[in-house]
Amino acid sequence: MEGISILNGKYAVSMDMYPLQDKNYNMVYKFYDNLKEGRFTTTKCTDCGARSFPPRIICPECLSENMEWVDLPSEGTVLVVAEQEAGVPLGFQAPLIHAHVDLGGELTYLGRVQNCKAGELKEGDKVKLVVIPIEPVPADGKKGAVIQHERVFFVFEKVK
Amino acid sequence: MERNVCIIGGGMSHWGVRQASARDMFQEAGKACFNDIPGLSNKDVDGLIVASAFTERSCFQTHLAPLVAEYLGIKPKNICARVELLCASGSSGIILAYGLIKSGIADVVMITGGEKLFTPQKWEVFYSELGTGDHDWDGSQGLGLPPPFFSMVAQRHMKLYGTTEEQLAMVSVKNRRNGLNNPKGQFQKAITLEEALNAKHVVAPLKLFDCCPVTDGASAVILACEEKAKEYTDKPLVYIKGVGQATVNNMSANMPSMTTWEALKIAGNQAYSKAGVKPSDIDVAQTHDCFTISEIIESEDLGFCEKGEGGLFVQEGRSDYGGDVAINTDGGLLSCGHPFGGTGIRQGIEIMKQLRGDAARQVEGARTGLTHNLSGLSAAHTVLVYGRDI
Ligand SMILES: [Zn+2]
Repeated sequence: MEGISILNGKYAVSMDMYPLQDKNYNMVYKFYDNLKEGRFTTTKCTDCGARSFPPRIICPECLSENMEWVDLPSEGTVLVVAEQEAGVPLGFQAPLIHAHVDLGGELTYLGRVQNCKAGELKEGDKVKLVVIPIEPVPADGKKGAVIQHERVFFVFEKVK
Repeated sequence: MERNVCIIGGGMSHWGVRQASARDMFQEAGKACFNDIPGLSNKDVDGLIVASAFTERSCFQTHLAPLVAEYLGIKPKNICARVELLCASGSSGIILAYGLIKSGIADVVMITGGEKLFTPQKWEVFYSELGTGDHDWDGSQGLGLPPPFFSMVAQRHMKLYGTTEEQLAMVSVKNRRNGLNNPKGQFQKAITLEEALNAKHVVAPLKLFDCCPVTDGASAVILACEEKAKEYTDKPLVYIKGVGQATVNNMSANMPSMTTWEALKIAGNQAYSKAGVKPSDIDVAQTHDCFTISEIIESEDLGFCEKGEGGLFVQEGRSDYGGDVAINTDGGLLSCGHPFGGTGIRQGIEIMKQLRGDAARQVEGARTGLTHNLSGLSAAHTVLVYGRDI
């Protein structure tokens, strides 16, 4: 027997590196619905015009609840790269590549770059967002049924 | 009526890879702290704040403060709670205790902090780190352990200001040497510049000695109102003079700058102005050297040198004993290690000793000191100014 036998086959939110995306568990599920259709989106306040990332249900500038979904650029320019060869966390393969990416002057953030070799990505290179499937969440249904909530996530790839 | 607040004693457990539980180490730290104040008994403490970030993740223990109170024989009556701000949990606890005592809600408060991070399987702590940034947005990108982020910070600082890998290495050489001043720290071994420069990469340009280690350990201090401080100790009184804690972003998308830490400048200015001092008044400082590049940027954004000159500042010995301001005189995170909730308290202990004049290696005539913690992806900054003069 390995590990804790009573937990075999169990799902624990506290051990899930990805977010709960289903509408049962959050109020910005439209981000993930859009992502499943290949759209990278966020919320914009229709009262003051402030665009937030990550998406919100309330505007952090004017506290309005009137939000609309807007598309973000899905191609960007690499500002700086970090390549991790050793000590990569469980769930990732070495080299684990991260980049600080500028998405068309509208948004910068730190993203993972997949299918990339060490030394391959440099400042100034173009990257594009790709949508990847991730493990579904097995949630309790009625009378012992298990409902699988399908999920996706977004990572960068180098534009070749 | 606002009261003056003193730090009257402190102590720590041994830090490192410990064959001990969190509760064992909280007992060791508490005992070491009480030993530093012979005139005070555990029954005199009327408040307890416990600082720990990973208690639920690596110990499966919530509601930690009453547990620690029970183990230390403390029966708090004014406050008994845990505080969490990851790497700055300890200094957050000190700020909260300071406010409670200053306002008259409590008189004598222990702040103890620590972590048990070495668990039976190595993957666990690294995996848990995925929850330390914004879990849903940065953590899900595989950003948990901080080296990738600080590698980018270092690369940007090197490009913008000409900071060199040698200057990064000089921070670790200085702090490993200073670590010999703290026999309870994780490392007790000085290193040479060559060793630092030839070490293997963690995430380039950061090498092994540019990064603080994973650490088990705990530390504790006691704060008291000035009147009680005079009653319990004959040692020179050390006052908390001013504090600041600031955040301007959490998720990486909202970071204003990678190389100028706005929240640090805000927290520093708050602490300096409340204390009525300026950066040049600081004789000794413990800054958050989780990575060598961090100490370099901190010496700039705390105003010890001009922006972009942090590399030269260490190279010219201005952050060493005999320089403008001695930084990380007990070895900092790079040598003592970093059990998150324990670190800000360890910094407070070293500053208290330096200002009392009984440090292992003394900064001559030090009267004003500073501690600084950063937490998250440099998302929050915490600064305290201590002094012999109020
Ligand atoms: Zn708005």
